[in-house]
Amino acid sequence: MISKEVCERVLQKAASTGADYAEIFAENTLNHTVNLVGGKVDSVHDAQIAGAAVRVFLGLRSVMATTVDTTEAGLLRCAQRAAEALAEGKAEVSITLRERLPGDIHPILIAPTSVSNADKAALLKEACAAASGYDKAIVQVTGALLDVDHRTLVATSEGLWTQDRQIRTRMMVNAVAEVNGETQTGGCRPGARRGMELFETVNPREVGLHAARQAVTMAGAGYCPAGVMPVAIGNGFGGVIFHEACGHSLEATGVAYGNSQFCGKLGQKIAHEKVTAIDDGTIPNDWGSINIDDEGTPAQRNVLIENGVLKSYMIDKFNGRRMGMAPTGNARRQSFSYVPTSRMTNTFIAPGSDKNEDIISSIEYGLYAKEMGGGSVNPVTGEFNFAVNEGYLIRNGKVCEPVRGASLVGKGSEVIQKIDMVGSDLACGQGMCGSSSGSIPTNVGQPLIRVSSITVGGR
Amino acid sequence: MDFQTFRQFVADETAALHIEAYELYYELEERASVSAFRHEIKEFSDASEGGVCLRCLVDGRMGYASTQLLSEESARALVRRASHNAAVLETSQPEFLVSGGQSYQSVAANDAPLPAADALRKTALAGQDALYAQPGVVDGSETEVFAGHTRIAIYNSLGLDLQYENTAAGAFLSAVVSDGMEDGEKANDYKSCLGELDKLDLDGSARKAADGARASLGAGVAPTGTVPVVFSPKAMSQLLGTYAKVFSAENAQKGLSLLKDKEGTVIASPAVTLVDDPFYEKSAMPMPFDAEGSPTRRKNVIENGTLNTLLYNLRTAAAAGKATTGNASKESYDAQVEIQPFTMYLASGGLTPEQLLEKAGNGVLIDFLGGLHAGANTISGDFSLQSAGFLIENGKKGAPVRSFTVAGNFFSLLRGITAVADDPQPPTFPSPTAFVSPSVLVEGLSIAGK
Repeated sequence: MISKEVCERVLQKAASTGADYAEIFAENTLNHTVNLVGGKVDSVHDAQIAGAAVRVFLGLRSVMATTVDTTEAGLLRCAQRAAEALAEGKAEVSITLRERLPGDIHPILIAPTSVSNADKAALLKEACAAASGYDKAIVQVTGALLDVDHRTLVATSEGLWTQDRQIRTRMMVNAVAEVNGETQTGGCRPGARRGMELFETVNPREVGLHAARQAVTMAGAGYCPAGVMPVAIGNGFGGVIFHEACGHSLEATGVAYGNSQFCGKLGQKIAHEKVTAIDDGTIPNDWGSINIDDEGTPAQRNVLIENGVLKSYMIDKFNGRRMGMAPTGNARRQSFSYVPTSRMTNTFIAPGSDKNEDIISSIEYGLYAKEMGGGSVNPVTGEFNFAVNEGYLIRNGKVCEPVRGASLVGKGSEVIQKIDMVGSDLACGQGMCGSSSGSIPTNVGQPLIRVSSITVGGR
Repeated sequence: MDFQTFRQFVADETAALHIEAYELYYELEERASVSAFRHEIKEFSDASEGGVCLRCLVDGRMGYASTQLLSEESARALVRRASHNAAVLETSQPEFLVSGGQSYQSVAANDAPLPAADALRKTALAGQDALYAQPGVVDGSETEVFAGHTRIAIYNSLGLDLQYENTAAGAFLSAVVSDGMEDGEKANDYKSCLGELDKLDLDGSARKAADGARASLGAGVAPTGTVPVVFSPKAMSQLLGTYAKVFSAENAQKGLSLLKDKEGTVIASPAVTLVDDPFYEKSAMPMPFDAEGSPTRRKNVIENGTLNTLLYNLRTAAAAGKATTGNASKESYDAQVEIQPFTMYLASGGLTPEQLLEKAGNGVLIDFLGGLHAGANTISGDFSLQSAGFLIENGKKGAPVRSFTVAGNFFSLLRGITAVADDPQPPTFPSPTAFVSPSVLVEGLSIAGK
């Protein structure tokens, strides 16, 4: 993308006013999405993102400048802007870059850019047709097949020059059902850091049926009752509870500035002893996996909480300076135009030893949140929320009728102490996580768990 | 390469491929922002970016492609990509481009250059001083000062050649307060303000942010029940922003909005008049044309409870046999043309906020809603949302409450608005799309707390 020699000259310019660290991040990305509405191809989104960011540090100060002009002259101007904004000193710096390419732990078999629009549309049609044909209550189906081919380059004044290519593919189907005048929706959105070989393991028809079944089930459901009760949260995307209640509060983005309920708690018991939670960017071909992060640090497996004890934060280079701690391979950004910061990759609660049937039967009256939607958190206070896409009441230890419109709210530091049963059926779900460095792909996951008491929003 | 040169290469390639009509949408943004922490500059960001999106009509279908690389090679590739993408489309609605020669209302857009880096830094540090002057404010309180210059150009083969430039600046002040106990409770709130840097009300914004954070210290949990709810201007504008897509004719025509076929019918209480105004007086980004280049105009979307009109672009208007309302929108330069309001505001009613609380009697005042992207379903209208605010006790603002939810349905909520106050808050972010509301009183929403 940009040669070592050009990078050396740009980094030297960036450091010419006294920076103690300089970095170039460049990318050339193809974002492609085929959208289907009512069984027909409605639109194709086809965008090329290309540009570079130059970042410089001096102590606890950081400056980033970006440009879409990636010629040497354009990059040098960008570096000059960064250098001038950082400091007024003069420094002669000699930088020699060495190529260090990461091993590719996420091999791709069929690059989506090699597959035609028509072939992609055919896969999507199969999924949407299955959803439409599931039940006469289905009144509309929309679908998208998106793929990303993200080539990145990182060069730093520490001598690193490295490149990576991240390919991701995802299918999304949403179904709308109407039962007795009540409209509800259902969805299914599997994805992976894979090419089109994703569909060797993901059956488009199953994706469509899943979305349709959920929509029809929820359209026939009554409203979830409101109150404080025990909740069993299903595996897969249910892991969003840890992501929101705890994960964001373990990112250096908040911890470095005292804006987290878990500041200064390393080595302390912060969760129920049944909770072990891990952020692992190295899982082959998972949705949130990376070879290197966006500062060039190799992906790592970080145990965040082990048997309830806080073991690690997720740390990027800049915030790591303030914390006096090394980066953990979690620096991520949506694109070159966002300042990278510490983010999650694949984050999950590790399997425990409780049996699923014991978890359900332990609840006299409560909610079984089979599938979760998204959520959000205020890391300062730890208050979080997330939506239940498919829920059922539990009575006398049995899963009973479906209920709709539920949400769960609470405070992260309290809720992770109340996760008192952990099953063994670990699975992950795919999501897009939004924060200051933009929207990035992250996996959330867990086995079935029980939260002994939480506020359920309903009516 | 500049846009003018790039556009010539695109013209050459479209001619070579016999493309019947096309449009180039160009956007360039120069942005600078500075953040400060503990009275020191923490981060400075200076971005220059943008790109070009080509839409071209091939056999009546509109193909899209975009790029950030401006070169002869990328211009030619762009045309081939857009043309290729058009070939797979199966939409039956005819597509249109806007002809040149339209007349546009002049707007008070600000085309001043970006403020100097030094001015941004000084304002960020002054914002820190303003925050730390407030009682109870602790570390974690940050200030961000930002400025952006946007340039948009739309050029098409039917003679359209439009340009727009706008500069906006402002500050974001985030106050974290503590109850003063070791390992005690913290709370936070923020305020943002827009305008020229030397005229920003940093002290007032810092005071409001710190007051808001302090007021929520020691908050309890609201009791579970069905009670009258007052939404603050901030909370109600959050809700309007989330549900704005129900007013899109595109969503209605695709069966994704329950307002399909509801034009001319009563959908809200008589207290509700909802206006869409591209020239809203306090907008930081007034727009004379929409994302297709159509002239924009002010319109009452809901008037005294009746849905006057949905929002249209060219394609959806033609499908409905109507004229466009000038609401074509692009989320970013590379996005599909969709439909959005400009400044959408709920018209003020006759009550003061205090009178609104008196009218509510006993209930909950909601000042913050969380998780709208997940807990609010824009198709069914159902919502169940994390909330924070205050109890309303005997017609007065009472104790702070948080970690509870409010649940209801947006369409029922519109019908359940019994009074609207006169306290709208101006937009706090420079964007063509913004949502403004006074406080509103809604009868009978479900609260889940203790």
